[in-house]
Amino acid sequence: MTEMRVDQHNRLDAQLLLFMDQLEALEEKRHKLNSLIEEGWFSIAKARYSMGNKQVSVLQYASEMEPLVHVEASLLEGGTAEFKCERRENKTEEPKNNTVEDIGAKETGLRRRINTKQKGVKEEEQETDPQVKTKAESSTPEHRDPLKWFGILVPQNLKQAQSAFKEVITLSAEIASLQSAILATRKEMQMKEKQEKTQPEIKEE
Amino acid sequence: MPGRGKLIAVIGDEDTCTGFLLGGIGELNKNRKPNFLVVEKDTSITEIEETFKSFLARSDIGIILINQFIAEMIRHAIDAHMQSIPAVLEIPSKEHPYDASKDSILRRAKGMFSAEDFR
Repeated sequence: MTEMRVDQHNRLDAQLLLFMDQLEALEEKRHKLNSLIEEGWFSIAKARYSMGNKQVSVLQYASEMEPLVHVEASLLEGGTAEFKCERRENKTEEPKNNTVEDIGAKETGLRRRINTKQKGVKEEEQETDPQVKTKAESSTPEHRDPLKWFGILVPQNLKQAQSAFKEVITLSAEIASLQSAILATRKEMQMKEKQEKTQPEIKEE
Repeated sequence: MPGRGKLIAVIGDEDTCTGFLLGGIGELNKNRKPNFLVVEKDTSITEIEETFKSFLARSDIGIILINQFIAEMIRHAIDAHMQSIPAVLEIPSKEHPYDASKDSILRRAKGMFSAEDFR
């Protein structure tokens, strides 16, 4: 009987220590997140100073945006949610591979355009393929990098802001997971405390 | 079961939204509603609350980032959200630094939601 109680106390102590560790980890990550966000704002402010007030604002947002970052959310036992950040950076390599082939096609297309009178239909067929590919390439990389909303040559400060916020996004996913774990630990502790309160009554009987 | 790639939504002031959109979280097209809301001086609390609730209702949003001063305006709605997904993360703003004592999640973790303790 007493051994069981000692076990329960030990488990509760272990739970409490885990809770404290999680809170400490959360505080550290929060601190880092806050300082990264402030760094990002500062860089945006510097970029705005060099580019002009109206050059870095809501007016520059694209009319169509595609998300480059996704979060994989999974529900673990006990209702804890885990978040993993995934960034679509690999896809920029694919169009690069295609450009090696398509530049050749473009060039042949351009060369053939000089002799359009002779080749006619065949050219059109061959040109549509590089055109489709070039449209896909031109739309996806420009479409993708939000930095390009602000112009072709953007100051270094804006790039620094972008990298700061990219790190913030990754950290946000970690903090969200940690928050969920903390709430789950708190619930478990509350349940065990309630069990402890009810069990001595049973034992007394 | 792991979920498919979900989006990160943001409700914040201009610079916060600009920063996160630069980071690549933004989605905007004709078919779907955007996953961000730029809160300006004339944005009503109703609009903010409705946007927040719409983000909660969407199954494709995993995390909602919100400036803490905006979260204070709709604190009741945030406190009412008890599910793990989407997660709500309060972030500081330029004029209002982060205050851990106001954070819904941390307040819950400290056990200040006494009604739950007595369930």
